[in-house]
Amino acid sequence: MLAPLVPAAIGPEDEALRAEVRAFLAERLAGVPGALRARTWMGYDADFSRDLAARGWVGLTLPVEFGGGGRSPFARFVLIEELLAAGAPVAAHWIAERQSAPLLLRYGTEAQRRDIVPRICRGEAFFCIGMSEPNSGSDLASVRTRAERTATGWRLNGSKIWTTYGHKAHYMVALVRTSGGPDDRQAGLSQLLIDLKTPGVTARPIRDLAGDEHFSEVFFEDVDLPEDALIGQEGQGWSQVNAELAFERSGPERLYSSTVLIDEWLDFVRSRGGPTESEAELAGRMIARLATLRNMSLAVTGQLARGESPVVEASMVKDLGASFEQSIPALVTDHLASVDGPVPSSLLATLDYLAGMSPTFSLRGGTREILRGIIARGLGLR
Amino acid sequence: MSDDLFLDSFRKLLAGLGADPWPELEASGFLDVLRPEAEGGAGLDLGSLFPLAFECGRQAAPPALLQTLLARIADPAARDCADAAPVLVAGGVDPDAARALCAAADAAMMAGAIDALQAMTLDHASTRRQFGREISKFQAIQHQIAVMAEEVMAARMAAETALVGAPLSISAPAAAVAKMRCGEAAQACSGIAHAVHGAIGVSAEHALHGFTGALHRLRLSHGGESYWARRLGEWALSRRDDAATLARSL
Repeated sequence: MLAPLVPAAIGPEDEALRAEVRAFLAERLAGVPGALRARTWMGYDADFSRDLAARGWVGLTLPVEFGGGGRSPFARFVLIEELLAAGAPVAAHWIAERQSAPLLLRYGTEAQRRDIVPRICRGEAFFCIGMSEPNSGSDLASVRTRAERTATGWRLNGSKIWTTYGHKAHYMVALVRTSGGPDDRQAGLSQLLIDLKTPGVTARPIRDLAGDEHFSEVFFEDVDLPEDALIGQEGQGWSQVNAELAFERSGPERLYSSTVLIDEWLDFVRSRGGPTESEAELAGRMIARLATLRNMSLAVTGQLARGESPVVEASMVKDLGASFEQSIPALVTDHLASVDGPVPSSLLATLDYLAGMSPTFSLRGGTREILRGIIARGLGLR
Repeated sequence: MSDDLFLDSFRKLLAGLGADPWPELEASGFLDVLRPEAEGGAGLDLGSLFPLAFECGRQAAPPALLQTLLARIADPAARDCADAAPVLVAGGVDPDAARALCAAADAAMMAGAIDALQAMTLDHASTRRQFGREISKFQAIQHQIAVMAEEVMAARMAAETALVGAPLSISAPAAAVAKMRCGEAAQACSGIAHAVHGAIGVSAEHALHGFTGALHRLRLSHGGESYWARRLGEWALSRRDDAATLARSL
C-alpha cells in the first residue's frame, strides 16, 4: 500500500503570481481561437517563450545563480496552471525548462551548467528529448542508436523518431547505446547532449493527423561529438532517464489539455439560458473530476517541495489525468450532437482538434500500460 | 491528546465493539466530538472528523455511528440514528447544509471502505496462486489493481478536501465533489475487488461483501453521483468563471 497523498495548499506569496500571469495572458492571447489554444504545450511560438523568459517565467524554480527564479515548486504550479488552462503556446521552451535544465544541473559539466542553463532561462536554448526509435517505442531498452568512443569524444549513428519539435530545437538529450547490444537491455545505455547544428544531423518534421508538424524524425550520420557530450555516467542512462521522467509526469500539464474545450463548452451552455438537468450534470462531473485531480497534483507538488521523489504518485496522477482529458471531447460530442440550434463553429473546431489528438494523451510521456506497470511495481506486485 | 493517540483509541474502540455498541460508544465520548466544549463535547472541526469517518469505513463500522455523531450537533440525545439530516433540520440547520454535511461524511466513510478493499485485494492477489504463480504476477491483474490504487487516492483526496472547517459551514460544492467522486470510485473499486477475488469473495463468510455492501448502501444515501453532479454543475454554470478557477475553489 502507498502512503496517502497529503493535501497541500499554495501559500499567499506563490498565489500572488497568478494575477500577474493572468493579466499577461489575457493581453497576449486575446483573439486567439480556441482550436489553436487547445494545442497548449504542443503549440510552438519562440517569441512567446522569450517574452515569458523576459518576465522571469522560464526556469522559475531553477537556482538564481544559473539564471532561474529560485522560487518554490508551488510558484511553478501556479504559473503553468495558468499557462496551460489558458492554452498558451509554451512548446518551444517546455522540455528545456521542465526536464533538460534540471538534468544538466544535476549531471552536466560546470561549463554546460554555466553556458546552457542560463540560455534556457532566457528562452534562447530549446531542447528535445530523443527517446523513441523506429523499432523502439515503449521498449526504450531496445534502442539501437549507437555512440562509439573516438580520440576526441563520441561518434554517433542512428535515428530517433516521434521527437517533439526535434526539427526546431537547438539541442537534443538522447538515450543511446554506448556499449553492448539490445540483449543487454538497460545496461550500456547512456544520455548524450547533442548540439543539433553539428554536421551529420538532419531532422525532418512528421505531419500529424491535425495537420501540425509537432514531431519529427532525426537522423545521425557519423556525428562527431565532444567528450563532454556524455551526460552523467556512461551506462547509467536508463536510471537517469527514469529520474527525468518523474519531472515530466508530475505536473498539472496532465490535467489541463482539454480545459480550453471545457471553457468554450461552459460558455456555450451559459449563452443558451438556464441549463437543462443533463447539462448541469455533465458540467458537474467534469468539474468534480478536474478539482479532485488538481488537488492530487498539488499534493504531488508538495512531495516535490519536500524533496521527495514521487515517481509512483506522479504516474497515478498522469494516468488518471490523461483518462479525464480524453473523456472531455467524447462527453462534449455527445452533448453537442443532441442540442437543438446552431453550435458556434469555434467550439466545433476546438472539439475536432481534441477529438483527433486526445488519444495521444495516454501515449506521450509514458503510455497508460507503462504507467500502470510502474504503479503495480510501486504497490509491490512486480 | 495527539492526533495519532486520538485516532488510535478510536480504532481500538471500533475493533472491540460488541453486538450492542451504543453503551460503549456513548461512554467513549466519541459521539460528542463535534459538540461544543462548553456542552461537554470536544468542539472538533471537520478536519478532525475526517480520519474518524475514514476509519469507520475502513473497519466497516455501522453507518449509524457516523450519522449519530453528526445528529448530536443538533440533538445531544441522538442514538442509533440512521440518517442525521432530518435531525439536523429539525434542530434548525438549513436543509441543504444538512444534506451536504451528511453526504461528505458518507464520502469519507466510502473512501475508508475503498481503502480496505484495496488492502484485501492486494493481499489476495499476492497469495492466491493460479497457473503456477501468484495472480498478482499477471499483467491484467496488475493493471486492474493499479487503477484501483488511483481511485483510492482520488476518493480520499475528494473526501478529505470537503471535510474542513466548522461542521455547519461546509462548502456544498466541495461536498458535491466528494460524494460524486467517491461514488464513482466505489463502483470501480467494488468491481475490481470482486473480479480479483473470484468466487471466493462472494461467499457469505468472506469479509469482502461487508465493504462492497457498505459502499452500495452509502451510495444510496444522501444523493447519488448524478444528483451531486447536477448540484455542482448548477453552481458552476451560475458563475462566469472558467473551469480552472472553478476547480481551484473546490
